[in-house]
Amino acid sequence: MSTERDSETTFDEDSQPNDEVVPYSDDETEDELDDQGSAVEPEQNRVNREAEENREPFRKECTWQVKANDRKYHEQPHFMNTKFLCIKESKYANNAIKTYKYNAFTFIPMNLFEQFKRAANLYFLALLILQAVPQISTLAWYTTLVPLLVVLGVTAIKDLVDDVARHKMDKEINNRTCEVIKDGRFKVAKWKEIQVGDVIRLKKNDFVPADILLLSSSEPNSLCYVETAELDGETNLKFKMSLEITDQYLQREDTLATFDGFIECEEPNNRLDKFTGTLFWRNTSFPLDADKILLRGCVIRNTDFCHGLVIFAGADTKIMKNSGKTRFKRTKIDYLMNYMVYTIFVVLILLSAGLAIGHAYWEAQVGNSSWYLYDGEDDTPSYRGFLIFWGYIIVLNTMVPISLYVSVEVIRLGQSHFINWDLQMYYAEKDTPAKARTTTLNEQLGQIHYIFSDKTGTLTQNIMTFKKCCINGQIYGDHRDASQHNHNKIEQVDFSWNTYADGKLAFYDHYLIEQIQSGKEPEVRQFFFLLAVCHTVMVDRTDGQLNYQAASPDEGALVNAARNFGFAFLARTQNTITISELGTERTYNVLAILDFNSDRKRMSIIVRTPEGNIKLYCKGADTVIYERLHRMNPTKQETQDALDIFANETLRTLCLCYKEIEEKEFTEWNKKFMAASVASTNRDEALDKVYEEIEKDLILLGATAIEDKLQDGVPETISKLAKADIKIWVLTGDKKETAENIGFACELLTEDTTICYGEDINSLLHARMENQRNRGGVYAKFAPPVQESFFPPGGNRALIITGSWLNEILLEKKTKRNKILKLKFPRTEEERRMRTQSKRRLEAKKEQRQKNFVDLACECSAVICCRVTPKQKAMVVDLVKRYKKAITLAIGDGANDVNMIKTAHIGVGISGQEGMQAVMSSDYSFAQFRYLQRLLLVHGRWSYIRMCKFLRYFFYKNFAFTLVHFWYSFFNGYSAQDVSDKLSLRFPGLYIVGQRDLLFNYKRFFVSLLHGVLTSMILFFIPLGAYLQTVGQDGEAPSDYQSFAVTIASALVITVNFQIGLDTSYWTFVNAFSIFGSIALYFGIMFDFHSAGIHVLFPSAFQFTGTASNALRQPYIWLTIILTVAVGLLPVVAIRFLSMTIWPSESDKIQKHRKRLKAEEQWQRRQQVFRRGVSTRRSAYAFSHQRGYADLISSGRSIRKKRSPLDAIVADGTAEYRRTGDS
Amino acid sequence: MEERPQHCLSRLLDNSALKQQELPIHRLYFTARRVLFVFFATGIFCLCMGIILILSARSTQEIEINYTRICANCAKLQENASNFDKECTCSIPFYLSGKMMGNVYMYYKLYGFYQNLYLYIRSRSNRQLVGKDVKAVEDCAPFKMSDNKTPIVPCGAIANSMFNDTIILSHNINSSVQIKVPMLKSRLTWWTDKYVKFQNLSSKNLADEFRGKIHTVPPNWPKPIYDLDKKDPRNNGFLNDDFIVWMRAAAFPTFKKLYGRLNRTHHFIEGLPAGNYSFNITYNFPVTRFHGEKSVVLSTLTWCGGNSLFLGLAYTVTGAMTWLASFAMMAIHIMLKNKKMSFFHQ
Repeated sequence: MSTERDSETTFDEDSQPNDEVVPYSDDETEDELDDQGSAVEPEQNRVNREAEENREPFRKECTWQVKANDRKYHEQPHFMNTKFLCIKESKYANNAIKTYKYNAFTFIPMNLFEQFKRAANLYFLALLILQAVPQISTLAWYTTLVPLLVVLGVTAIKDLVDDVARHKMDKEINNRTCEVIKDGRFKVAKWKEIQVGDVIRLKKNDFVPADILLLSSSEPNSLCYVETAELDGETNLKFKMSLEITDQYLQREDTLATFDGFIECEEPNNRLDKFTGTLFWRNTSFPLDADKILLRGCVIRNTDFCHGLVIFAGADTKIMKNSGKTRFKRTKIDYLMNYMVYTIFVVLILLSAGLAIGHAYWEAQVGNSSWYLYDGEDDTPSYRGFLIFWGYIIVLNTMVPISLYVSVEVIRLGQSHFINWDLQMYYAEKDTPAKARTTTLNEQLGQIHYIFSDKTGTLTQNIMTFKKCCINGQIYGDHRDASQHNHNKIEQVDFSWNTYADGKLAFYDHYLIEQIQSGKEPEVRQFFFLLAVCHTVMVDRTDGQLNYQAASPDEGALVNAARNFGFAFLARTQNTITISELGTERTYNVLAILDFNSDRKRMSIIVRTPEGNIKLYCKGADTVIYERLHRMNPTKQETQDALDIFANETLRTLCLCYKEIEEKEFTEWNKKFMAASVASTNRDEALDKVYEEIEKDLILLGATAIEDKLQDGVPETISKLAKADIKIWVLTGDKKETAENIGFACELLTEDTTICYGEDINSLLHARMENQRNRGGVYAKFAPPVQESFFPPGGNRALIITGSWLNEILLEKKTKRNKILKLKFPRTEEERRMRTQSKRRLEAKKEQRQKNFVDLACECSAVICCRVTPKQKAMVVDLVKRYKKAITLAIGDGANDVNMIKTAHIGVGISGQEGMQAVMSSDYSFAQFRYLQRLLLVHGRWSYIRMCKFLRYFFYKNFAFTLVHFWYSFFNGYSAQDVSDKLSLRFPGLYIVGQRDLLFNYKRFFVSLLHGVLTSMILFFIPLGAYLQTVGQDGEAPSDYQSFAVTIASALVITVNFQIGLDTSYWTFVNAFSIFGSIALYFGIMFDFHSAGIHVLFPSAFQFTGTASNALRQPYIWLTIILTVAVGLLPVVAIRFLSMTIWPSESDKIQKHRKRLKAEEQWQRRQQVFRRGVSTRRSAYAFSHQRGYADLISSGRSIRKKRSPLDAIVADGTAEYRRTGDS
Repeated sequence: MEERPQHCLSRLLDNSALKQQELPIHRLYFTARRVLFVFFATGIFCLCMGIILILSARSTQEIEINYTRICANCAKLQENASNFDKECTCSIPFYLSGKMMGNVYMYYKLYGFYQNLYLYIRSRSNRQLVGKDVKAVEDCAPFKMSDNKTPIVPCGAIANSMFNDTIILSHNINSSVQIKVPMLKSRLTWWTDKYVKFQNLSSKNLADEFRGKIHTVPPNWPKPIYDLDKKDPRNNGFLNDDFIVWMRAAAFPTFKKLYGRLNRTHHFIEGLPAGNYSFNITYNFPVTRFHGEKSVVLSTLTWCGGNSLFLGLAYTVTGAMTWLASFAMMAIHIMLKNKKMSFFHQ
């Protein structure tokens, strides 16, 4: 739709993409825009246009109306959409989510319908119908019906089990409870009963059940803290704040019950961070934005309870809208298999046609004149040929293998169980085994090219720990005992002397503790004091336990560290902060908080000590701190070196510094500060300027190093996967610096990696586009696409790109509404034509651009996309899928990964964590990232190889088996005969034989066909030669067709089973048992079916009575069988031996040298190269949030005052409850 | 893994060898020594087997006389529909140069007779043949019932087209003395056929039995089923050996079926002595209409059947090829072994 933009310059009219923000425009797809407004007739539209253009762009979209506490309102007829014929449904979804496919009534018809969508099933249905026609029925009806029923039954049972699991999961979620106002009181209700317009109450640590408008909460100003890890992967707390009016009047149950606000807002969409709407209440309208909305999937934290009004429920919620479609995934081999089946089908038709023509000819020549073949009907030879064509289609149906699909499913099921059973993918800490949630994708695991990984919770544990520090030029944090000696014995520091320690910090440097306790170096104490005082963390004291709530996990880690080292932050008010300094509580006056933002990359706090001194404490990124240091800083260089060392260890660093401020200086500065903070325009800039004035001449204290703890074994896994030529892309909603740091930590990036950022890529792509356009012109279509690389060969490159740049590069920018409107209804034909033309041109350009981008990205050894939305994650996966035609795997843990997990060929969810969304939509789940290597390199490879081996063998066997009929046709006047149902009845062995451990190479489908054809010839012609002349030992009835069938069948069973034996690389007793077992089973069943007893019971069904015993009594039949088997197998052995001798494959070689290789295979961690001072990256500063809570703190809004507990409010509805301190 | 927290490992997995895919394995190595050993051994076995088979096949004697053309006048007579009930006999003299020792078997052999045609092969009723229900003729199309709706016994196309020539072998000691060579019409079939698959209605008088039931003789048959062997009343009905032999359908359009065994008594105690013989054939079975041929075969047997050389030759050829292949493989192996030592030093 986004036409008119083909004049490329329009892209650049906006400023550079912002690396800091998550773009949000990615969801506004063209379809959505097309849908809207299309109902408006053109005339009306033209009238409205001018007015609309002047209005605020989003206002007119507000067609979603919600009335509080009025369920009837939403059931009005004009909210009804016709769903199916005359069944109407409200446009307001209810809150029950539905992921299941069938219910009790729809299961059988829907499932059958689904199954018959498969070509093979349909084919067999057709076959069954054909068999009902008596003239052409060549096989008993049950020979097709039974396998078909088995296939349908097995698949149906599998689907049923899957669906029951989904039902259970849905039920579990739908039956979660929360409190809803009903009949004027809060009552416990299930999630599924919640409807739009309900007022609900949530308690601490509850999941939010729907998208709700925050009305009020237990916190001052109706603040509400939420954790959005499920939505965007960020674990820091975010705060939401209700409207002042609702905060004021909607605290009590009775007022909430009578709340009759009316909300008009945008239709449901998937923009997680955008919301526009208006609340109409008490004859006033209040604008609503995303800050007042709690989204489904969030968790309420640090807030005792809150009240909200449901705006979107169930499927309308933003998280659900974001989850993308559930795609039906199929593997490459599935497609290949289908392709082969079609090929076989064509071959079958050709064969049948050939045989039918042959039969018609034979009829004309011989059959018609043979009196003994008189069948009472005067059909012409050509008609007989026509009938026999269908007859052959039926007889040769085994060529199109129905059992193939069943066998493949069974094998995959088995493989899935092996995954489920794998102890090495069981995570004991969380008691979580790996789980194959879909059973149809296993062999695809062996074909992965690209892995798309989430960062938070997937690569990292999402735990920040204080690891090291540098104080006054001295590095602390390595193992050391108190006397400053490195020590082999690793012993944790004992924090028990400190009453406030939480005991969770693992620290090994005993010397630091000694320093703190002795107080020899005042800087050490000051260092931790700074950590305790300079932050915007909130504290919550329950049962004497301190709970810190930080805006970023790094900050939390620092404050927590300070607390463990004896400087515990105890409480804060609007302008004081209380610290326990090694046991003595002291309260400081906070004079100003100079908050963090991404430009400043630092935060400062100005406090007045109880002694009356004014001090400024500051922490921030080294780059910004070093610019502001006092010239005379003796430890500057040492700290710098320490920072390099920390950065090399991929720790996240912060510099700490302080300065003392004269009273006079402060008073002066404070005036400016006050003036700036009330400035009406450009307040932020003014403040930044004022902050700058005081943050100078700082004295460096030291630096901290925080570890964003990776999950165990992540670098090893990544290196292993890289060796398998699997590329790993990290897609995260987190900040660029953080992502980059993690890239280094997990060794995706190394010191010698050249990193390209958005700008570089953009210019490269521009140049490429320019090139392509120049080269294009008239000959563009004829010239073969030149694939030159973007980068010079050699060297290690990585790409770090943010979501905004991604949008910029891929032309996914937001479409301007007014342009759309203008273009919606073209006035003239000319305009319409122009429009379609430019649209097409834009499409082509977009595609070219996407392709270029993917090519470029794939040239890099690592790609990190940060600040991307869930939808962008999916888009990136889709791009690679589309343009690289590669098999992709996405792995993630949160709801923000759901879309990408669904998009990728294989989705993996990290289980064992709180949110289940990712796991629910994944194909495989396990608890740790490192299990990925086992899943891919072991299970994937095995599954793949086994599957391929199986397929090759299967086609071979099938052809060997079926073509025997074909050869026989030449000797029986091209008429179908009934050897096959006897054979197939006697062939269970072929389908149960060891389907494990079959190492093979799949690409040679035709080789196996050829092999099958040759084997079938051997199987047929050797017995034929033997039978033509010979007679039985006793002279009786030789060469009857039943003995012939038994001979061939026995030879066939023995040959194909031995063939499996040859193909089996690793013999276990299971293999031996199944191979010899199936041969034994074959003979057992045969003798059984040929016994006298069974003939007496069913004389017409079992006609082979005595054949086996009589035929196999003859030595020449055994000799024939032995010769056939030998001739069938010896060439295979010879070829295999020769190919191993002449062209040994990789795995042959590995087998030969397995002992030596074993040692080499050990993963060797890259040598850590320390290069002091040359490190180019150091700004991995430890702030992952945008902005601290300084505003909240200094405005005093968040500071909790005494208030009645929840019970009191609930119980005593009439008690006057007014908040006392509302600043 | 070694240090597991003991709280609740409810989902702890089973550590069995099967589930962990750690079953003891044996790898199948195609090492030179093994492969070559197998090839040489197979080669020797095949060669020996081939020589033994050829020798034993050559030790048998066989005489085949195609009487399609010799008895052409009978065939012509028969082609005229008006003469269908006229009996035509035809005598074929031949000279046996050496004596045929041991058991001698007599076969009739048909060429171009498609007994394996699908519709033909299915046109029989095993339920009828097992003697349970004469009326069970469902599978017998198109020879199920006669026009007056009585079931045909035995029904079906196979039974209808039963071979009905009579062949009598006589030994001409001199121009005047002719001895009929005694032939046994018993034990021509498999035991299971005679005693399981084919049963008469009951052991009482056969003719009465069949007469008691309303039935029709197959269109091509001159006489009813209970009258097939006039000499031996027990060799009648469904239990007639010729009938059973015919009902076991052949696999190929060219086939021979056992007609009789030499009764080794008196003059023929050692087999057939050399001399002049003749076949006296009552010509009933028409083959010229479908361009078929028929012949009569006399043969002796060994442990591996008749005088077919195919298996012997096939074994010999296979053996030779295997040896050739193993020499070639050895050569390649030695060549490459010297070049790339590393592959084979295990």
